Amino acid sequence: MAKNITFIVTKDCQLACKYCYLVGKNSKERMPWEVAKQAIDYILDHESDMREASVVWDFIGGEPFLEIDLIDQICDYLKTEMFRRNHHWFNSYRFSFSTNGINYHTDKVQRFIAKNHEHLSIGITIDGTERKHDLNRIYKGDGRGSYADVARNIPLWLEQFPHAGTKVTISSEDIPYIKESVLHLYSLGIHEVNINCVFENVWKPGDDRLFEEQLTQLADAIIDGGYYRDYACSFFSEHLGKPLDCVTQNQNWCGAGKMLAVDAEGNFYPCTRFAQYSLREKKAWIIGNIRDGIDKNKLRPFLLLDRCTQSPRKCIDCEVAEGCAWCQGENYDAADTPTIYQRATAICLMHKARVRANNYYWNKLFRKLELEDAREPYEENKPKPNPLNC
Amino acid sequence: MIQYLVILLDDTSVSFCHYGNAKKERRLMPLETLEAGILFGMKENLNIQFVYPAYALPEAYNKAVERVAHVKIKPAAMPDNADVVVMDGWEECESWTAGAGVSCVLRLPKAEWFGHAGRAAALLEKAERLNVVLTDVETFTEDDFKAYEASLQELAGSLAAAYASGKTPQLNLLTDRMMLDKMNNCGAGDTNITLAPDGKFYVCPAFYQAEGGYAIGSLAGGLDIKNAQLYRLDHAPLCRHCDAYQCRRCVWLNRKTTCEANTPGHEQCVVAHLERNASRQLLLEVRKQGTFLPDKEEIREINYLDPFEIRKEW
Repeated sequence: MAKNITFIVTKDCQLACKYCYLVGKNSKERMPWEVAKQAIDYILDHESDMREASVVWDFIGGEPFLEIDLIDQICDYLKTEMFRRNHHWFNSYRFSFSTNGINYHTDKVQRFIAKNHEHLSIGITIDGTERKHDLNRIYKGDGRGSYADVARNIPLWLEQFPHAGTKVTISSEDIPYIKESVLHLYSLGIHEVNINCVFENVWKPGDDRLFEEQLTQLADAIIDGGYYRDYACSFFSEHLGKPLDCVTQNQNWCGAGKMLAVDAEGNFYPCTRFAQYSLREKKAWIIGNIRDGIDKNKLRPFLLLDRCTQSPRKCIDCEVAEGCAWCQGENYDAADTPTIYQRATAICLMHKARVRANNYYWNKLFRKLELEDAREPYEENKPKPNPLNC
Repeated sequence: MIQYLVILLDDTSVSFCHYGNAKKERRLMPLETLEAGILFGMKENLNIQFVYPAYALPEAYNKAVERVAHVKIKPAAMPDNADVVVMDGWEECESWTAGAGVSCVLRLPKAEWFGHAGRAAALLEKAERLNVVLTDVETFTEDDFKAYEASLQELAGSLAAAYASGKTPQLNLLTDRMMLDKMNNCGAGDTNITLAPDGKFYVCPAFYQAEGGYAIGSLAGGLDIKNAQLYRLDHAPLCRHCDAYQCRRCVWLNRKTTCEANTPGHEQCVVAHLERNASRQLLLEVRKQGTFLPDKEEIREINYLDPFEIRKEW
């Protein structure tokens, strides 16, 4: 397993996406180089505390590519220092970005990509069709949609990263556009669509039925159109919708606490979702800083989390619990008390709707494959999406 | 299930546990609040513990208190009729003369304990029971752990000698674990709650008298413990597998050190396990001298001091 270390390089973004969980975005909190350097020195100085075989250096914002000069400096320093120290992460690292794609084509970003290509993972977020994308992903200020500025960079991105996937977020207003959006992304050449419903309590009565209907239509389109052979959509999974055992299947869903995030102030967090700009109701959960180090006591609750201790009885007894996700940060933010041990269940009906559509998908697909005597070749060659927790 | 109600008679009521009382100005609980609290306790069938300040109460309060069976927890400065007397530091112990059946709580920082633990043996001669409470457990370093271990070994020797001479001293740090076969922790928010002078309920006195606390209901609005399961042992992922049964498992210290009521910090765990291991040695020593607690199993030998180190990792 890789250690995930996130630099919150800026809290600024060109966009003001309606579903964005970052409630405290601003243009002031940009990470100074000295803070980044001190954070790197602290992390690499504490090699014995971070024994994971590899590392993903993650850069997040806001929009991380707004700070491409800083990121370039950070990555150069990381490479130099990992080599100089003969650190076990040298040659076992990746730089990872989740970007809105607007600046992707710029000279600075392209120079950075050319320099680090072998170690890069870049995901551009494009939400589907223009009307679906522009429903939420709008510029701050004038409120116009950002689809055109993102879509123009997709061919370049796929040329440089042919196996890249995109992340799609579904909120209540997006439900009617799910089918057309996934198919649109396939048509752009994106083979892996990682899609999930927001964990926040935004759902309206009847959303689950609409959602189920959209996913059923999407299932028909993927199967009838033959997309299942080469394309993946994370809504459909063979590992979904079974009951779970509290002894043998008790693992936490989320990696918060095993990850590490650092912000412009030099504060450390168990994941970016615990920084103040991500929280609506609660105080930031700071586990230390670059000067005093990490307070391991503040990490203990995260590393002790299991599924059943944090779940209400209805989740423990749920007949379709498998694959139902949660975000530890949203759990914390939505909890009745300042705890990470109260699982938010706003997503419950949406998960159950997904399970019904998922059952339909696999029943239909397997029957088709059996009738065509194509089950074995499918099993050997089926696309494998990367499970994304956040 | 709530079984005990702690009633703080004043903002300056004595601390009998890990926390320090940040409130320095007197604020006596209104008499009607006290009476309503007593009524609540009687109707909910709770055992009531009154916690006193270091000044004499008006007579009407004394009368109210006597209307119900109770325990009095008092500071050493006002020890009359106390069931439990709280002493802050060794100095207050010197002049104290115990009455029959009186328990003693000795609160002190580690600096006063290290090198002086032997004095606790002398105090045990006077008290029916002695609870030692270190007020800065969360600051323990590796050197402190070693010093604490040494102090427990020294005390265990004195206690073994006392048992050999037919006495049965009770010292929370060493004798409780010998007697227990399941967790017996503070129980704040689970088996006991606290009523403060403001008429509100709290998980324990620390949640009112120290910084960063919160209420869990009021006499007027009723008890409302949000996430009540997190105060129970079965929702404490580390403690529910632990056998340091004498551990205070202090909810307030948990919140202070790890931000979660159900998760102890490293220092609390190590201190509790040093006590557990010293109790094990004491039990072995006492049993060498004859039959002792024959229905109790041996405390098994373990190779860790913080159960976090052997947690199940998924």
